[in-house]
Amino acid sequence: MDMKYYALLTTGLVSLATASAAQQVELDLWTIDDPGEYHYVMADEFMEAHPDIKINVRTVQFEDMVNDLARGVASGDAPDITYIDNPEVALFASRGLLLDLSEYIEASDVVNAEDIFPGPLSSVTYEGGIYGLPRGANTIALYYNADMYRDAGLDPDNPPSTWAELYDAAKALTKPEENVYGLAFSAVATEEGTFQFLPWLQMTGGDYNNVNTEGAVEALNMWKAFIDEGIASPDTLIRGQWDSTGTFNAGQAAMSISGPWELPRMSSEADFDFRATMLPAPSADAERASALGEGDNVILASSDNPDEAFMFLEFLMANMDRVWNEFGYLPASDVEVTDPKYPEIYAVFEESMKYARNRGPHPEWPRISQAIQGAIQSTLTGQASAEDALADAQSRIDRVLN
Amino acid sequence: MLVFKNTFRDGVGFDAILVTLALGYLVLFSAFPLVYNLVMSFQEVDLFSLASFDRPFVGLDNYEDVLTRTEASSIFFNTVKFVGISVVAQLVVGFALAMFFQLDFPLNTWLRGLFLAGWIMPALVVGAVWSWIFAGDFGVLNYMLQALGITDAKIFWLSNPDVALYSVIIANIWLGVPFNMILLSVGLAGIPEDVYEAAQLDGASRIQRFFTITLPMMRAQLGAVISLGVIFTLQQFDLFAALTQGGPANSSNVFQYWSWQLSFQYYEIGVGSVISVLMILFVVFVAAIYVRSTRHEQVM
Amino acid sequence: MLKRYSLLALALVFVSIYLFPLYWMYVTALKTGTEIFAFPPTFWPEDPQWMVAEVWSRLKMDVYLKNSLLIALGTTAIVILTGTGCAYVLSRIRNRWMDAVLFVVLMMQVLPSSLMVTPIFVAFNQVGLNEFPRTSVILAQAAKVLPLYIVLCRATFVQVPRELEEAALVDGNSRVGAFLSIIVPLARNGILVTSVLIFLQSFGEYVYSRSLITQRALQPATVGLQSFMGPNTSDWSGVMTYSAIYVTPILIVFVLLQRQIVSGLTSGALK
Repeated sequence: MDMKYYALLTTGLVSLATASAAQQVELDLWTIDDPGEYHYVMADEFMEAHPDIKINVRTVQFEDMVNDLARGVASGDAPDITYIDNPEVALFASRGLLLDLSEYIEASDVVNAEDIFPGPLSSVTYEGGIYGLPRGANTIALYYNADMYRDAGLDPDNPPSTWAELYDAAKALTKPEENVYGLAFSAVATEEGTFQFLPWLQMTGGDYNNVNTEGAVEALNMWKAFIDEGIASPDTLIRGQWDSTGTFNAGQAAMSISGPWELPRMSSEADFDFRATMLPAPSADAERASALGEGDNVILASSDNPDEAFMFLEFLMANMDRVWNEFGYLPASDVEVTDPKYPEIYAVFEESMKYARNRGPHPEWPRISQAIQGAIQSTLTGQASAEDALADAQSRIDRVLN
Repeated sequence: MLVFKNTFRDGVGFDAILVTLALGYLVLFSAFPLVYNLVMSFQEVDLFSLASFDRPFVGLDNYEDVLTRTEASSIFFNTVKFVGISVVAQLVVGFALAMFFQLDFPLNTWLRGLFLAGWIMPALVVGAVWSWIFAGDFGVLNYMLQALGITDAKIFWLSNPDVALYSVIIANIWLGVPFNMILLSVGLAGIPEDVYEAAQLDGASRIQRFFTITLPMMRAQLGAVISLGVIFTLQQFDLFAALTQGGPANSSNVFQYWSWQLSFQYYEIGVGSVISVLMILFVVFVAAIYVRSTRHEQVM
Repeated sequence: MLKRYSLLALALVFVSIYLFPLYWMYVTALKTGTEIFAFPPTFWPEDPQWMVAEVWSRLKMDVYLKNSLLIALGTTAIVILTGTGCAYVLSRIRNRWMDAVLFVVLMMQVLPSSLMVTPIFVAFNQVGLNEFPRTSVILAQAAKVLPLYIVLCRATFVQVPRELEEAALVDGNSRVGAFLSIIVPLARNGILVTSVLIFLQSFGEYVYSRSLITQRALQPATVGLQSFMGPNTSDWSGVMTYSAIYVTPILIVFVLLQRQIVSGLTSGALK
């Protein structure tokens, strides 16, 4: 073959290759999902719709995300887009590491800030800017074993709606001789403990910056009574929500406070009539509150391709109506979920979402959370009275806030 | 030139090369992290300034901060208890089992090998299994104790503040036994049979033989196993994460877990590094004792 | 005869008490997520769930196990090559310098990996080692276990009589020759057992791998195990199945091996 033709062919191929490489934008995405889960599925669908954009997905363990991300930022290996748990957004936003999406959202036809529920919206808001978009949400509610209700002479169609009713029901359902506790929840010394306690505090008018309140004392004393009176297991102090609810599924607890992530296991393994109701409030007319879980998709300020990254975030928001049925989160914005799985329980969680409140925001959230966990643990172990424990927590929190 | 070559083949140079090889490797890969921790303990460190040395020095502020915390002294004593009890119990159980399996009975060496299981199960699994064994309500330990009539009521192994630390210690002893046992078995196998036979002819009793022959001949092994046992116990971290997270209310917290919590959960990295430095000091002490003890080793 | 069998019976009791957690791992692997929390606990699952094939293929465990093996072999090789000589010298020469060396060696392994990993990450990143993540883990892990190896092997060398070495030197061997042909073979018991322990430790290495290896295809089995653990959910049966798959073959191999190593083989040579 003619050498010239050969040379022409190779240069042509090379330039063709570089041309297509230049056109293709690459985005790095860090997630806590494993292949087959939310971010992997969504990235594949997005790439199919946009062949010019390639997304490299990397799994990071949930508890390593903040540390890995901080290290990535420090060493220049940060991704373009990442998942961050709700209470950690403020930490990264406060350092100017996240892209403020306000202008993008204003210009967008897809994303509308007003559609996002107030809790999730506040989790991505920091000092006036919007630094991410929620990928979904979760919250907690009271699961209960309707069969045990009937056996104890309670009305399963009329579950407790106030703290007093919750206490009475739990007391009535407790059967030590059958190894059955009235209630399972989590007071573990991790973020999960804070997550479970904060709504109780918020329903009585307190919040993370104001924990030394009468309502908080009342709530903690009630938790202490649950344990001291054998209504809940002492192991509540060292057990997370998943393992606590495991005892509910196994029929060792009549009620359990936990979130929608329990449903797949519960529906396949709990052989009784389980239902859910909203987290009881201090009184019938008290303000409501619920916990807000799940995380957000954020774009790093260092990203070279913020426009494409935002396109991906838009794509995720546009698919919000699918998250319940396909991935098990509650939608974080006002969308119509057609034919939801577990319809009655979905309705309870959907209603609870309206009252779900963010933890913080504060850049030093973990230290605030630690103070709250400390108060819970020292009260429940009897090392301090609720008043003293909360006063101590308040002074620790004040040191962080000031 | 010939002299030079000879020193490496036959003289001090040979020793020097062998030592430098290992020491160089360690200094290259391990000394840096230690120094890094030491420096950070004097600095104001933030999650985002981890990668650069250019951070404000704050003198002893971090030390003052952490040592004045109300939980500091109880966590210190927990650490001492954890290390002390674990090491002694591991050694006693390990040594007893090593001697037991030295006896002549069928399958003795096979069965001994099964003790390695504790050494190869992944930490996450060991932690989870022990957390179920210890669980107050559905735990198999409580079930068996009650079934055998040893206890009446359930013991909340992990959530009772008076018991939690000891539960972690039990799990840690379980983890440390194979290490002690296998290594002491090697030591026992290394003692020549004829020494015992000679002693027996001299009329020494079993107990006398243990104290006059076994213990002195095992001195090197025992020193190594104890000092490493202390260090391993100080590094035990996964069990705390899996069983109690240091709780309830810090009643089972120890330095190594607290240091990690401070640095990687609450992002108070300078303060967390102070704890690391205190642990280094503790090991300096242990290492010094070990090195001294090696002077009196019985060398055949 | 009776005594030997009563000893065997006693040994079986010890072993079964000790192995109870291992048994619990196997049983839990077969239980449903909820049965784990049932009281009274079930000692044999009511409805055994065999997930071995599913877990194996879903997680591509062959890749993970291959990486674990590479890391463990690499680490063990480095440790044996750099540590054996040092341990020998430390067992033979006693002076202030050698005291200092032994002291430094012990010091180097004080902190848990979880506290060492950040500085190591920073340093490796600076010199470009993060391009070779598995090698990075091998290098870091070898540094982590080298002191252990040196201290343990040293104790073995102490038990090798000096006279044998001196006799070899008198016979005209060089020190290198005496070391390789007399000392090392005599100490091979201890060297092998220690190497096995190092291998097993490195096979289970987790903290460094998690931080230094970002690509799924290069991660070892311990990191893969984490994919059963979500923020709010943990598939305990999956965890236990996975670890049963990983523990069983190693356990069998090493039960066989340690028998060869610890018993008999060289105690004859020492006499």
